[in-house]
Amino acid sequence: MSGDPVTGTAATGWQALRASVRGAAHRRTGLPNQDAVRIARRAVANGADDDDTPALVLALADGHGSAKCFRSQQGARLAVAVALQTAGSLPLAAPPSQRKRWAEEQWPVTLVRGWQAAVTRRLERQPLTAAELAALDEHGRQQVEIQPTLAYGSTLLSVIVAPAFILYLQLGDGDLLTVSADGTVARPLPPDARLIGNETTSLCAPRAADDIRVYCQTLAGAPPALILAATDGYANAFRDDAGFRQVAHDLWTMLRDEGEAAVSPHLHGWLDEASRQGSGDDISVGILWRAPPDGPPAC
Amino acid sequence: MAKRPGGELATRPLHFIWIADCSGSMSVDGKIQSLNTAIREALPHMRAVADENPNAEVLVRALAFASGAQWQVSQPTAVADFKWTDLQTNGLTDMGLGLRMVAEQLRMPPMTDRALPPVLVLISDGQPTDDFTGGLAALMQEPWGKKAVRIAIAIGEDADTEVLQRFIGHTELKPLQANNPETLVRHIKWVSTAVLKSASAPASQAVGLAAGLNVPIPAPPAAATGPQAPDDVW
Repeated sequence: MSGDPVTGTAATGWQALRASVRGAAHRRTGLPNQDAVRIARRAVANGADDDDTPALVLALADGHGSAKCFRSQQGARLAVAVALQTAGSLPLAAPPSQRKRWAEEQWPVTLVRGWQAAVTRRLERQPLTAAELAALDEHGRQQVEIQPTLAYGSTLLSVIVAPAFILYLQLGDGDLLTVSADGTVARPLPPDARLIGNETTSLCAPRAADDIRVYCQTLAGAPPALILAATDGYANAFRDDAGFRQVAHDLWTMLRDEGEAAVSPHLHGWLDEASRQGSGDDISVGILWRAPPDGPPAC
Repeated sequence: MAKRPGGELATRPLHFIWIADCSGSMSVDGKIQSLNTAIREALPHMRAVADENPNAEVLVRALAFASGAQWQVSQPTAVADFKWTDLQTNGLTDMGLGLRMVAEQLRMPPMTDRALPPVLVLISDGQPTDDFTGGLAALMQEPWGKKAVRIAIAIGEDADTEVLQRFIGHTELKPLQANNPETLVRHIKWVSTAVLKSASAPASQAVGLAAGLNVPIPAPPAAATGPQAPDDVW
């Protein structure tokens, strides 16, 4: 199976690929893939400006999968759906300071409220069942009964690419990497020291909006050549961080030199191999890149 | 298939550390022999659990504390290659020093942030004779010390269960009481199998919502029917 190219993104000069595989450990234990990833073009609020260039939005989520988060597969799907939806309120044509304020202050709150509302609607249609609650210990059952959104716990990573800027957002574990045209790999957001072992910040936490980290990158010069977003199962599959960062560099080299055909047909297989021989976890990636003007044509 | 992007793949390390009391009192009524036997007999079960999850690399070490403390197996050793060397007893109960030495090994580096939560198993029949509070503080100062699955086994009625409870750090998990060799074997086997299995494939937990254990621990083996069972010898 191949990676999924995202069509209709040429307006911003960016290409996109995404893929998601069920973890090797999940296959052994009968658990589903609890990740979700989507990439789409979204029309954004442009005020009085007539420029209707859409933004490219990537959203990726990792449902926690713990006993108490027994609907986290749905939680992750709702998270990416809400992320794509809320990107529509991005003030594309606003001054940079106003845009930054929106990204740092309104976007996190809008995302968390949107996710909570979506989960609440889902719970109204599909209330928690006695069988689901019976599988928990007493303490866990009490926690979920008091706060049913806990059952849907998920992380969220999102990237919005617009002509003049890029926004990066992260809540919980997972990785965002960029590659510059000269091949330098960087993290737009620093690692969160709180996230060690299997603990993560989450959309289901009471202060989730405060835990969201955002970086606004104004594109004064050349934008990144490639942006990679991945759930934590990918980085955890490598012996060290350098080995994982090498992924972003290698992907950029392949895409630059040989085009999408060098990556798309193999992406699922690569992720599956990483899960089997590495972390055992679900692995999902979203890849955004700009084909060089004189590079091979995209498929 | 085309060349896979990225560096070397690797399973996630899971450090399992036995922290054993070898003070003089452990020589009384065959406690140390029972402990040596229980751990040695548990190793095949431990290997079987490790084999079930090829995505976790179980690495075992052992530290003994008495008058001083020293690593019996200092290098993280693959469970398939781990061999138990019988512990010998002598002197006091420098548990605090033992915890400090474990804390040093849980620093990053040598630990990496991609590890699974370590499992620390503290086994004691008495009361610390050194600075236990300082040793525990050193352990809990390390991120991996704080996130470790900490299990304690109290051997005999004289074990200081309050100290062991402080080591565990979670009210929902109590020290396991072993007052005879059979119970000790049962507890050691539970730690080597059920706890190891949980720690080797932990699901993500939301920070601040776990309210205690960051790795769900299955119910321990049933306790003895009373404070003093007929076959208790310790």
